[in-house]
Amino acid sequence: MSARLQVLPQPEPAPRAPEALGERLLAVRGLTLRYGRNPPAVEEVEFAVAAGELVSLVGPSGCGKSTILRAIAGLHRPERGTVELGVARRALGFLFQDDALLPWRTARDNVALGLRFAGMSRREARAEAEAWLARLGLAGLGGRYPAQLSGGQRKRVALAQVLALRPRLLLMDEPFAALDAIVRQQVTQELLRWVEREGIAVVLVTHDLEEAIALADRVLLLGQGPRARIQARHPVDIPRPRDLVAVRGHPAFAPLYRRLWRDLSRAMGREETP
Amino acid sequence: MSASDRGLSVALRRTLGLALLLAFWEWGARAGVIDPFYAPAPSTVAGTLFALFQGGTLYPHIAATFSAALLGLGAGLLIGGLLGFTAALIRPLADLLEPFMMLLNAVPRVILAPLFVIWFGIDLGSKVALSLVLVAVLVFFAVYNGIRDVDRRLVERVLTLGGGRLAVLREVYLPSVTAWVMGSLRVAVGFAFTGAVVGEFVASSRGLGYLLSFAQSTYNAAQTLALILIVMAFVLLLFWLGGWLERRLLRWRHP
Ligand SMILES: Nc1ncnc2c1ncn2[C@@H]1O[C@H](COP(=O)(O)OP(=O)(O)OP(=O)(O)O)[C@@H](O)[C@H]1O
Ligand SMILES: [Mg+2]
Repeated sequence: MSARLQVLPQPEPAPRAPEALGERLLAVRGLTLRYGRNPPAVEEVEFAVAAGELVSLVGPSGCGKSTILRAIAGLHRPERGTVELGVARRALGFLFQDDALLPWRTARDNVALGLRFAGMSRREARAEAEAWLARLGLAGLGGRYPAQLSGGQRKRVALAQVLALRPRLLLMDEPFAALDAIVRQQVTQELLRWVEREGIAVVLVTHDLEEAIALADRVLLLGQGPRARIQARHPVDIPRPRDLVAVRGHPAFAPLYRRLWRDLSRAMGREETP
Repeated sequence: MSASDRGLSVALRRTLGLALLLAFWEWGARAGVIDPFYAPAPSTVAGTLFALFQGGTLYPHIAATFSAALLGLGAGLLIGGLLGFTAALIRPLADLLEPFMMLLNAVPRVILAPLFVIWFGIDLGSKVALSLVLVAVLVFFAVYNGIRDVDRRLVERVLTLGGGRLAVLREVYLPSVTAWVMGSLRVAVGFAFTGAVVGEFVASSRGLGYLLSFAQSTYNAAQTLALILIVMAFVLLLFWLGGWLERRLLRWRHP
């Protein structure tokens, strides 16, 4: 499969200040984000992601997790602070919280879209798209429109759409929150296997503390907004590759889960008595 | 009962209703219940219709109305679409155009007909202008709202997948707008014919509207009805074409 994927333009090296970034693909510094005249949703957020590293971002609902990802992807202009990317823009993949696909394009053409933008011919892009759909268990559904797919299927099309571009840094915003437990486990495991094998760096936003620990090398905890900051950073000392079910039985898992849970409760309680 | 069965029985019932109405009308006219001066029997109207076509003098009139309506429709779609597109994308232009378009949208635009006769004469020009104005204002708002209504999330998808401005235009804006324009295409067809025929009422030397006003001035109800039927037939034909186009272009909606 790798041979076929070589057709894609390989990501260029860091566009600027590679020495400052070092081995890191992403460095977020002093990030303050706000909507209009409201008080900033997040303030002074700092973190970095190394090549091949998986970082989870957890926090109470509405604290600004999605906004941070949007700022990294260049969709939201920061009030203050910087986002430095160690990869070309086209090597940045974004899996959104909702699964809005182009309703007027078939699943196949939705997946082929990014490949077409990257300069691939229509036929090649379609063949490649079909291969990705098949890899994600959607073989034979390429000709369907989004309206004809289930929620879980649409989610997988969106995943194929992003993975087909072979990102080196993947931003994921609660990608599987809407899926039922079984499909969720399945898709997450597939994705984890792929990410570990290809050495893709990931920033994962999630509500699910178990998922955050199971997938990540580090868990960042964002406090209650407005003016949310990173309250705690916990490394996850569990070796890779990981199995999603087995990882929950690892001796390091339960203590970390309890600590995260305590931190999160504290972060949410803090704002109630300002 | 399958969907096509149901469709068939609906069509059957509708045809039956129409046939009953015609039969009652025919009977009423013959029995003297309905005054044939006002409502001549369907058979009389059919005879008049036949005679109109047989004489061959009808065709130039049909051609006149048809070309006015189609030219107005085409130019109206083009101009209204372009104005709507640019207005939605360029804020200052929208501020400039919106009050003017609002005004044109609020008034019954056919009142412009006499003015157009003065400006463009009694030939084709004034009729095309009228149906153009009727159509263009409608299409302007369809396109304008279509673009305003574009799903921001889809724009962001295309951008994060590596598409540029042109890709956003082609992949998101154009299809969204097509859906809106398709929604008002039927009304636009109706408007185009309204413009052409009303233009002919006001001042003309040919066209179905001209024949209609002539038939009216001689109190020829049979001929009036026959001409109305002709216009209706053409509009229905265009509706059907529009429906076909809509099904093709918006296949993703009702797969
Ligand atoms: N377009 C917007 N305009 C104004 N405020 C917004 C907008 N989008 C989000 N916000 C506000 O900014 C804050 C952060 O929103 P964001 O979507 O980033 O939260 P989140 O952490 O992703 O929440 P969730 O976990 O529920 O998805 C929230 O308080 C939200 O109300
Ligand atoms: Mg969110």
